[in-house]
Amino acid sequence: MRPFTYEVPSSIQEATSRGGADAAFIAGGTTIVDLMKLEVMNPSRLVDVNPLPMLGIQMREDGLRIGALEKMSDVAEHPEVVANYPVISEALLQSASAQIRNMASIGGNLLQRTRCGYFRDVFTPCNKREPGTGCSAIDGENRMHAILGTSSSCIATHPSDLAVALVALDASIYIQNGAEERVMNLDDFYLVPGETPDHENQLRPGELITAVRVPRLLWARRSTYLKIRDRESYEFALTSAALALDLNGDTIRDVRIAVGGVGTKPWNLPEVRQALAGKPLKPETFAAAAKLAVNGANPLRHNGFKVDLVQRTIVRALMNLGGLA
Amino acid sequence: MSTQIIGKPQDRVDGRLKVTGRAMYSGDRQEENLTYGYLLTSKVAKGLIQAMDTSVAERSPGVAAVYTPFNPLKLYHGLEPPEGATSGETLPPLQDQKILNYGQIIGLVVAESYEQARDAAALVRTQYQAEEPVASWEQGIEHTFTPESVDREKATVKILAEGVDSIDDAIRGSPLVVDVTYTEPIYHHNPMEPHATTAVWHGDRLTIYDATQGVISHRLNVASVLGIDEDMVRVLCPFVGGAFGCKGSMWMFSPLTAAAARALNRPVKTILTREQMFTLVGHRPALIQHLTLGANPDGTLQAVKHDVRSTVSFAKIFVEAAAHRTSRLLYKSPNIQVSHTLVRWNVGGPTFMRAPGCAPGMFSLECAMDELAVRCGIDPVELRTKNDAEVYPGRNVPWSCKNLVECYQLGAEKFGWSKRNSIPGAVQEGDWLVGMGMASALYPAHRNRASAKVRFQADGTAQVSSATQDLGTGTWTVLAMVGADSLGLPIAKIHTELGDSALPSAPTSGGSASVASVTPAIQKAAESAKKKLIQLAIRDRKSPFFGAKIEDVSYRNGELTGAGKSADFGSVLSGIGRSAVEAVEMAAAGEEEEKYAFHSFGAQFCQVKVNRWTGEVRLQRMTSVMDIGTVVNLKTARSQIMGGIVFGIGMALMEGTILEEKTGRYANANFADYLIATNADVPYIDIHFINKPDTIFNPLGARGIGEIGITGTPAAIANAVYNATGRRVREFPILPEKLLPIGANQPMISMSERS
Ligand SMILES: Cc1cc2nc3c(=O)[nH]c(=O)nc-3n(C[C@H](O)[C@H](O)[C@H](O)COP(=O)(O)OP(=O)(O)OC[C@H]3O[C@@H](n4cnc5c(N)ncnc54)[C@H](O)[C@@H]3O)c2cc1C
Ligand code: SF4
Repeated sequence: MRPFTYEVPSSIQEATSRGGADAAFIAGGTTIVDLMKLEVMNPSRLVDVNPLPMLGIQMREDGLRIGALEKMSDVAEHPEVVANYPVISEALLQSASAQIRNMASIGGNLLQRTRCGYFRDVFTPCNKREPGTGCSAIDGENRMHAILGTSSSCIATHPSDLAVALVALDASIYIQNGAEERVMNLDDFYLVPGETPDHENQLRPGELITAVRVPRLLWARRSTYLKIRDRESYEFALTSAALALDLNGDTIRDVRIAVGGVGTKPWNLPEVRQALAGKPLKPETFAAAAKLAVNGANPLRHNGFKVDLVQRTIVRALMNLGGLA
Repeated sequence: MSTQIIGKPQDRVDGRLKVTGRAMYSGDRQEENLTYGYLLTSKVAKGLIQAMDTSVAERSPGVAAVYTPFNPLKLYHGLEPPEGATSGETLPPLQDQKILNYGQIIGLVVAESYEQARDAAALVRTQYQAEEPVASWEQGIEHTFTPESVDREKATVKILAEGVDSIDDAIRGSPLVVDVTYTEPIYHHNPMEPHATTAVWHGDRLTIYDATQGVISHRLNVASVLGIDEDMVRVLCPFVGGAFGCKGSMWMFSPLTAAAARALNRPVKTILTREQMFTLVGHRPALIQHLTLGANPDGTLQAVKHDVRSTVSFAKIFVEAAAHRTSRLLYKSPNIQVSHTLVRWNVGGPTFMRAPGCAPGMFSLECAMDELAVRCGIDPVELRTKNDAEVYPGRNVPWSCKNLVECYQLGAEKFGWSKRNSIPGAVQEGDWLVGMGMASALYPAHRNRASAKVRFQADGTAQVSSATQDLGTGTWTVLAMVGADSLGLPIAKIHTELGDSALPSAPTSGGSASVASVTPAIQKAAESAKKKLIQLAIRDRKSPFFGAKIEDVSYRNGELTGAGKSADFGSVLSGIGRSAVEAVEMAAAGEEEEKYAFHSFGAQFCQVKVNRWTGEVRLQRMTSVMDIGTVVNLKTARSQIMGGIVFGIGMALMEGTILEEKTGRYANANFADYLIATNADVPYIDIHFINKPDTIFNPLGARGIGEIGITGTPAAIANAVYNATGRRVREFPILPEKLLPIGANQPMISMSERS
């Protein structure tokens, strides 16, 4: 860990003015402190956002609003979230551990960094950590890495489960820059690596995420998050699917679906949605639609199984949520 | 032996200290003027260090010294282990520029705080002349050799029936043959407590607080690497937060820390990071095991051939005796052959890990037996019962106390084995395929020479002392129990001392031998102490028993009785003005070693579910029946078996260290990427003991218990996965993708199918 100063701003505006390329915000600290110890992130100033007014979980006319500082555990257990968006609650409850969820914030969760082992080891080349040094994972150990949205520069998976659920639900985030606020669709917010894997999203230095907004979607009451992993708890996804299903008897009226563990960003699947809309609720429909999820997949030496597994994950989620299992 | 204490569930005497954080582990040690060491480790797996720039680190706040091969501390070559086949690091660090493995020690930074040492270490720049490492089976072909001995036998052991020329002839002559190969990755021990050393010099005397399984052996080894007399060193280790074998040998960071403390004339404490735990303190080597079983159609074995290849480092030989400790002896067969070869890799030294030899060997033997059961169409329990060995193959001696068939029977009954459907994939619960599997468990019973002291004290308490260790297993409690039992006192009146090299000598706590070795010495010392107490009581004028005949005075439950009087030992001692009377005794195995074989046995059953879409394996329940002689403490005994089972779950389903072929770097050397079982992965575990005292083995009748729990678990799980899915995974761990690629006729339901 390199030496740093610790600053506590008293307003959101002050916080954004204190932010910058040499600074980092700290919320729950479960990502940033970890990466500072590994010397992967070396801010010379740490700006504590915890005192800022970015709390609240409210169900409103236009949907659900979650303050960026709300803890993962509080959101997961909130009655409105559990009732209206089970997919959010389930995604959170299958994330990390109880201890981490009690510390970690929603804003921090969306901005957590990849779990690529080379990114986290400063003695190995990594384009995301140190642009231009190369990607160790492409020819190295890549079982956990992405098959979608990859480039020859980086194949790192976006690790957040919550983000997958939010992207499926077409959520947006509120971004504050000085006195200025903008709202951005979360799917657009995240970037694929391309030639600049260090550039992960559209947040500019000093900008704060203040809240998340999830549009009202009555049928999201029938939604679920299915996470496939090597152990039952406390592990990132091999593959995952966030799914909401709107049924009309035995016909699928509409679907929201995104997958995790396979993309360099939370992977929204509008093609799968289209393929399912209006179709009968039948396993054959599911399998055909799930195939579309892996269009353009680029598997490597150790992660080829994800091409098949992610389709199975989608089918299993559809079977369960559709009551066919 | 009274039944009031032995065999009852007894809370840990040190439990309160541990849960309140007051138990002082080696890394907790605080000393005046303490400094902190942080190890620098190599970032290439093979080659030479060309240069190290330590200038910035040396100027970094709080730094006292930076030791490297260019500014070394003098250390000597370590003691060669008595046999090539045991563990122990011998090459001292910093004495040359050579690199033999990734993560090897290349320096030590000492600073005023741990953080300062760590942060300064990050400022050292090292230049290497790197070479391509040997880090795969293929690359290792050129570095393959045969060890001199394996588990005290030849590298190849052949037991052939009369008239049979070779094991291959016997296999060719068998009507049914199972011929299979199993592979396992490197596994790491990963105890919760990292290794730690605090070294304090007083003049030329060294006190070292170290997380070790053997204070006596540690003292000897540290002294020799430092080039000083053993008597000048004292090793203290009251608590160990888990060890599983990786604290069973001395690793070089410990004398290196002591050498730094000597050079700086200040205490130094070095704690390993989790990453360093992967490269500096051993691992279970990777293995390829080839098993061939020949049998008659009724399942009686005709030939057992088990060939093992295991990895070692370029600096150290350690033989993971996977065949010699399993197929060599578990089943009756007229023809048996086990053999072993070693392959050198550029990795840190391998070492014993919980149930060395047995855990990996039983995985392959017991999976192969399951495959044979399927081939013969015989129930797996029946197959094993049919091939039960009454005598130790090739030696023709019986076991001291073997009840394996009873384990099968009781286990099958408790588990409900009769409900198992032997057709793979036949049982479904919703989306899950359900399967049952079983395996035998096996571990040798060891007993080593040990000494103990028993001391009656004037305050009415007694002390039991021995230089043994408690690895978290419950030795503190067992010593107190056996002391209480031997002296007829309540446990609360017994003070135990252990983990101090100044106490009467005891062996390293390994091979599940501590209780078996140390308790006979305690029992013997207790008898001697009673005799001495009585002698004192009849000889001293101030004693109420003065002048009585020795045979008239007896000791019972803390009281002396005789000549019409009775008094408790405390009042006798205080009456005559003595603070204490004590006796030290040594106990060791005798000639029974020649006449019997000593092993613990067991049977393990489990039920798993496998998701038919996505292939995750989850355990539903587990039943184990263990034949381990006398159960001393029912509570900690259950915990030991349970812990072994949890170890086995990890081994079967998720653990495994990934070695990068090109770099020789471990890709998952941390707890986020090296997965161990969480609570959610551990199902209900039902444990039963046969509890027949093995008094031929030792007076208490207790064999070891720390390791056997792991031995049958992985195969039982793999066999249950087969029963659930019809798929044999012969490459551990059983990850979802290994179950998934489904051929047309595989019973795991494919994407388009649905029942
Ligand atoms: C062992 C382990 C296992 C985990 N498993 C999972 C898992 O299974 N699934 C999963 O989804 N996650 C998992 N996580 C990640 C965890 O959820 C995140 O670390 C956590 O959500 C981050 O939140 P935080 O408040 O602690 O963020 P911090 O560490 O405080 O911050 C993270 C980053 O976000 C920035 N930041 C924080 N808040 C704001 C804000 N309001 N505006 C702008 N920038 C901000 C910080 O500067 C920093 O760069 C795991 C983490 C660990 C350590
Ligand atoms: S995958 Fe991305 S994060 Fe990982 S090593 Fe390559 S560039 Fe770095």
